[in-house]
Amino acid sequence: MLTAVRNQCKVIFLSIKYALMRELLNKTTFISNIIFMILNNSSMIVQWIVLFSIKDNFGGYTLKHVILLIGISSSLYGFAHFFFEKSFKLSETINSGKLDAYIVQPKNILLSTITSDIQVSALGDLSFGLIAYFIYGFTIRGFILYSLFTITGGIILVCISVILHSLSFWFSNADAGADTFNGMMINVSTYPDSIFKGIVKWLLFTIIPVGIANYIPVKVMVSFNPYLLLINVGVCLLFILLAFTIFYRGLKRYSSTNLMVARV
Amino acid sequence: MKKYWFIIKTEIMSNLQYRFDVIFGFVSYFILLFILFNLWRYLYSDTSGLINGYSMAQMMWYVVMTEILWMTLGGRKFNTKICNDVKTGNITYNINKPYSYIGYSLSMHLGDILVKGVLYVLIGMLIGFIFLGHFPSLSIIEIIVVIIASILATIISIFIIMALGLISFFIEDATPFYWVYSKLILILGTIFPIEYFPTVLQKVLNFSPIYVVSYGPAKLFVDFSWDKAITIIGAQLIYLVITYGICKLIYQKGVKRISVNGG
Repeated sequence: MLTAVRNQCKVIFLSIKYALMRELLNKTTFISNIIFMILNNSSMIVQWIVLFSIKDNFGGYTLKHVILLIGISSSLYGFAHFFFEKSFKLSETINSGKLDAYIVQPKNILLSTITSDIQVSALGDLSFGLIAYFIYGFTIRGFILYSLFTITGGIILVCISVILHSLSFWFSNADAGADTFNGMMINVSTYPDSIFKGIVKWLLFTIIPVGIANYIPVKVMVSFNPYLLLINVGVCLLFILLAFTIFYRGLKRYSSTNLMVARV
Repeated sequence: MKKYWFIIKTEIMSNLQYRFDVIFGFVSYFILLFILFNLWRYLYSDTSGLINGYSMAQMMWYVVMTEILWMTLGGRKFNTKICNDVKTGNITYNINKPYSYIGYSLSMHLGDILVKGVLYVLIGMLIGFIFLGHFPSLSIIEIIVVIIASILATIISIFIIMALGLISFFIEDATPFYWVYSKLILILGTIFPIEYFPTVLQKVLNFSPIYVVSYGPAKLFVDFSWDKAITIIGAQLIYLVITYGICKLIYQKGVKRISVNGG
């Protein structure tokens, strides 16, 4: 069991390493992608500076808290898209019959598929997240929590994407729904929960788990609460279980298209 | 002109086949408006007056209008298309055709967004009306002026995005330029009117593309005056010539760098 896990991790590591090497062939594009993404994300801070010039508190959120929220959102997005980019394109892989290449490998099909590509600009998101965290204020405990939330939040984002894209096994056009849902999560995640009221707020902590992945981390980092931390980790584990279950259920319906592709 | 009109018609027909994409686009549009409405409602919750000269209703209609312009534009898709045309060499198929690549891309994209644009206007107005209970008070002639300003804004935006995409002739991936442009438009033109920024920045923004592609039409929609209409449409016409010229220049310089390797 342990050897199998170690082997799987090795395959994932090698897959990401080769994808990174492929991207590094064009260093100018590689670096410009990262720098421009940092600049792109920085504009969100400008937006909030303007908003805080109108009102100095957003339901308990100060400018520093919002910067932390944007940092966490950016980091977990970066983590998800750098290590698991293919989970956001899973429908295309399923619909075009490209899963064949992963099914024949003696490794976990879902993990091999979703780690087979990277998004370089996601490194910019990760770097911006770190910068935002340092602006908020560095402490060792805070940094450990920040790293943990980046991983759990990133995994939640990936799992949601896997679940929604796996619906392609049953329905066509599932990709459009998945992209819309993912886009919504990202859009909402850079605004404090205090601007939402009633049922919307409830939805953000349940069906649309932005609250679990983004708002709880800010609350825990501002004022440590072990219960909220456990909820974050617990929901992450629950989503992992759901993602694997739904993907493998769907996989039983998969039929090859006899597509011949070379994976370079 | 006939050939470009034919391209527009073909794209409209092709778009009507992708109903799901259009429907999910509306969902995204609704969510964006919903977030921004919540934000502005929160900001105006402890004041019944104006913020930087705008009432809450004006601010919300401003956002509806800028979001209609932005969502209709479909900038990311268009930028990716131009970048890919250059990167993959597809652009070579257009060189020997009896039309200009710039005119072809403009017509193709206008055809692509025309139906969507009309639907976004209808849905945007409906959402605004549901949230606010009234429309901005505009006469028929003023509405026509706002529509003209919006069409000009869209064409200028297409030229700007095309120019950013054509940079791919010189560096392999020009997409990052679009990211920064889109964020600048979003922050400096979509969410906030120019009046929200410091006076020094306002002077710069009044001469920037943001004034003509986003702020201008939306300002006319929420606070119409003939003086502003003349200034905004005048500025748009100047920008139209400049942005077209820039596209042409980049294309002419870039097309000389094409090397075809067969295939």
